[in-house]
Amino acid sequence: MLRNTLMATVALAALVGGAHAAELKVGAANVPATLDPGKDHSNSGSQFYYNSFDTLIEKDHTTGEPKFLPGLATSWQMVDDTTMEFKLRQGVTFQNGEEMTADDVVFSFNRMFQATFPPYQVRSKDRLSNFESAEKIDDYTVRVHARRAEPLWETLINMQQLMIVPEGYIKALSGDPALAEDSDYEAFSLAPIGTGPYKIAEFVPEQRLVWERYDGFWGDAAPFEKVTVRRIPEMATRITALKNGEVDLITNLPPDQLQLVESDPELKVEGMVTPLFHVLIYNTQNETMANPKLRQALNYAIDRDTLNEALWLGKAVVPSTHTMEEFGPLYMPDLETFKYDLEKAKTLLAESGYDGETIRIDTSASYYTNGLLAMQAIAEMWSQIGVKTEINVNDAWTGGDPTMNARNWSNPMYFADPFGSFGVMWAPGGPAEGEGRFKTDADYAEKWERFRFSSKVEERRQAYGELMERIKQDPPFLVLYRPYESWGMRKDVDWAPMPGHIPYVLDFRAGSIGVQS
Amino acid sequence: MLGYALTRIVRMAITILVIVTGVFFATRLSGNAVDFIAGEGLGADDRAKLIAYYGLDSSLWEQYRRYLYSFADGNFGISFIERRPVSTIVMERIGPSLQLLFGAIALTLIVAVPAGIVAAIHRKSWIGSAVTSMAFLGYAIPNFILAILLILTLSFWLGWLPSSGSGTWAHFVMPLIALSAALIASLTRFTRNAMLDVLSQDYLRTARAKGLPERTVIFKHALRNALITILSVLGLQIAGLAAAGNVVVESIFDWHGIGEMLVSAALRRDYPVLQFGVLSVAVAVILINTIVDMAYAAADPRVRLSNA
Amino acid sequence: MTQTFVEIGRTMDKGSRRTRMAGAVGDLWDDTNWIVRIAALLGLVLLVLAIFAPVLAPYDPVAQSLLSRLGPPLGIEGAKAGHWLGTDELGRDILSRSLYGLRLTLGVAFLGAVIGMLIGGTLGLAAGLLRGLVDDLVMGLVDIQIAVPFTLIALLAVAILGGDLQVLVVVLGIAYWEQYARITRGEVLRLREMPFIEAAQASGASGTRIALKHVLPNLMSPLVVIFTVNISNIVLLESTLSFLGLGLRPPTATLGSMVGMGRDYMPSAPWIVATPAILILLITFVIQMLGDWLRDRTDVRLRDR
Repeated sequence: MLRNTLMATVALAALVGGAHAAELKVGAANVPATLDPGKDHSNSGSQFYYNSFDTLIEKDHTTGEPKFLPGLATSWQMVDDTTMEFKLRQGVTFQNGEEMTADDVVFSFNRMFQATFPPYQVRSKDRLSNFESAEKIDDYTVRVHARRAEPLWETLINMQQLMIVPEGYIKALSGDPALAEDSDYEAFSLAPIGTGPYKIAEFVPEQRLVWERYDGFWGDAAPFEKVTVRRIPEMATRITALKNGEVDLITNLPPDQLQLVESDPELKVEGMVTPLFHVLIYNTQNETMANPKLRQALNYAIDRDTLNEALWLGKAVVPSTHTMEEFGPLYMPDLETFKYDLEKAKTLLAESGYDGETIRIDTSASYYTNGLLAMQAIAEMWSQIGVKTEINVNDAWTGGDPTMNARNWSNPMYFADPFGSFGVMWAPGGPAEGEGRFKTDADYAEKWERFRFSSKVEERRQAYGELMERIKQDPPFLVLYRPYESWGMRKDVDWAPMPGHIPYVLDFRAGSIGVQS
Repeated sequence: MLGYALTRIVRMAITILVIVTGVFFATRLSGNAVDFIAGEGLGADDRAKLIAYYGLDSSLWEQYRRYLYSFADGNFGISFIERRPVSTIVMERIGPSLQLLFGAIALTLIVAVPAGIVAAIHRKSWIGSAVTSMAFLGYAIPNFILAILLILTLSFWLGWLPSSGSGTWAHFVMPLIALSAALIASLTRFTRNAMLDVLSQDYLRTARAKGLPERTVIFKHALRNALITILSVLGLQIAGLAAAGNVVVESIFDWHGIGEMLVSAALRRDYPVLQFGVLSVAVAVILINTIVDMAYAAADPRVRLSNA
Repeated sequence: MTQTFVEIGRTMDKGSRRTRMAGAVGDLWDDTNWIVRIAALLGLVLLVLAIFAPVLAPYDPVAQSLLSRLGPPLGIEGAKAGHWLGTDELGRDILSRSLYGLRLTLGVAFLGAVIGMLIGGTLGLAAGLLRGLVDDLVMGLVDIQIAVPFTLIALLAVAILGGDLQVLVVVLGIAYWEQYARITRGEVLRLREMPFIEAAQASGASGTRIALKHVLPNLMSPLVVIFTVNISNIVLLESTLSFLGLGLRPPTATLGSMVGMGRDYMPSAPWIVATPAILILLITFVIQMLGDWLRDRTDVRLRDR
């Protein structure tokens, strides 16, 4: 009897002591086709990089405010107006055993700052354009040179696109091992290696990703020995897999399905308001949409609160302007750029001289949660003020299409600053203008300059307010809401999305996840 | 016979060439791959860069020429999306597709033929009607609804089977049923009709008059004769199944086969995968058909002559 | 030819069926009578519902009622007043949408089948009558149709031409053209050998006259049978296309697109899929029963000639 009790206790202790539990299984709605943190800014890729890669500057993810910590760099300081010097952490190894030195940091940065590989060129243009080069000072010291004074050093160095990758490994993947060729980068995106706590042991594009604990990690050991992520795109199947215990955690649970999971006594749901906006964008250069009063009318006609109530059970956040709490001192909730006002909508519509043309709304079938539903609801709201609409469901991106009238899009918070959300997308010469659907002028550029590069917070706030006023007068978009995204999991999984991350990150590092016994 | 074989082979080659060319041009006319894969936020020159990166910058004829020449090297291209050779991708997916295909054929034969016979023999009683009705149901429900229903009952509510993926026999059950349902339904009906035809033939009356037991009558005489028609229909079904790609079933159950690959590539304009995938499937189907036809022609001179 | 083994099969089938009918016409008729009667009645009801949908539907099928979305049918807790069969993911009335969906689905399927018959029948006729190069071309097209998964052809067609109703109808129509073509060609080849054709030729009738007066009437019965079966096949194909995202633009609904779009809600709000799925089932039932009946019926007529 005593012996049995003893055996039982030992067994239980082993279970409890297993904070380093064996395995976690995840059912994800999306698994990307390639994994390269520099090339990627998609919502599906962002789920996976944090577990395997590190940046020089780390961030405290438990809070939405920008709080920075040493990462692969132990300290940093400005050397002159446009140069920052980093002291690197010693004894860090990549998941293939090689030591991380300044060479790797310089390689990782310059492959983006001075990109020759087209996908890198395209990615670095919108947010890394102020960085000129990285320079090795000694094996553990690196300097980064900017073109002009940069108010957002830490924020930018902390970005996913500047995660550190191994130079030797990449160059040796194909062709000449002394050169970094395009084929090397291609191969890297199928077999990536970083410095993070989990090594990617297996990756089948768009199907499966398997992480294994990397024992040589410089920080706290990974809680799981193995994590398997399987792509399950079909919703009913994903929920069933969770219920059956085939997986322990699933992603992308829309509000409509929450009840189904919550009502199961062995499951629970965790969610958060995502640091990302669903937006509705217009092609201001298109003949049908050219009149600003028309677009103002269209914006006033949309009842976003009802959309929130109906599609998100009220859990989404409907902002009055393009701003998020996470921006800290640059959060500006008092600006009123967007509002629901049916009467004003009708008046402006009449003033715009709208004469019944059909407005085509493009949307993809399922890329944005509730995206298709929201567009249908908006089409209906517009028809109530007399606007004719046609919905075009298409997975092609029509942002650069001159016939595009309106479509949905998302503006993620790439980093915790309005530059990292509104800024990246709507800069002069940025992605929106580059596609030809948005035009800026000297006045806009001037305001922009102050907003982007002023060293004083007050000046940036002032400039941002002026920019939002321009947006209000001649709207190229409407901010719909910050969606509420949910994850379903077994009750004993101790995980929740953290406020300090970019959207959708599956953070499985020590301290971010656990399994209750 | 040799002349017939040669004609068939030439026809096969021409058909494949037409298909390959057709897919090549149709895909490029249906929108630029770049807009589907990486289109967001690209300015005009960035877009041009990516177009060159995917090899889509030269004229259509030039691309076509390069495409055909690449066959000589055995280079069938690299997926735009997965950045690895399309031949690798296809090789990975053939196995699962064939598993489903052969499983479906086997299941269909095993279930449909006896069911059809039963339905034919007992056509006046409730047994026959019951079989026919169940067969009908398998056919009349859209197959993705059937698939989801199966998942909801057998996996969600009862928890007997895993919901999706592959690996064990348990994973195989539901995709197999979902795929075979329609085939079983139509083959059952067909078997029933074929048996009914044959069962009332004069020579069977003779056999019965001779005093042979009904069982012998059915199995030895009737079935043998009905079998040709049954098998010819099954042959059509196989070809149809192979070509149809089992898309729906593969998508819902995450059964990573050729069908899912093709539709996913088509929806996102991954030209290299689409082209090679269609080529592979076409070659397979046409090859099978040609071989079967040539076997028939070798066996039956009438066929050869009627096609001269 | 690719279809040789089927041709043989069908020829055997035809001959023996006639013999069977001769001997057992009485029982077969009685056999299916009551089921066929039910099917016919049901078919009539469905037709009436489809034709009078605009009058019968209590709501506008595209009228949304966002705050009443996902409401179950009356009688179940949480039901929204006035919506007998519940509301869908945007609060639209399911009964109304199903009626209009039935109307559109039957219309699209019927038109598609007509297009298929016209294209396939004409090509098959040409192949069988003219033989030679024409025959080779048509059979080549058939080979291509068989070798390429049709969902891809549909996808590319919609991608190039757009997702309008017209495109959808044509795409669905050409899905099964080769069935008509092969049967037509097979029948024509068979009929060519028949004595009455030789007699007509001997008496100096032109090719066209022979085609129209002698060949065509004999073709009608097998074509009509295929036509009816084709309608239900098209209904099912349309729902598959909609599952893949190739269906009609929202908010227009066909039964297939309602099922395709509603499938995410099967575990939580199954009524969205239930009504259109049941209607699809009924349509298929009616058509299958009537198709069988037609086939048996027309064979008797052939026998009488």
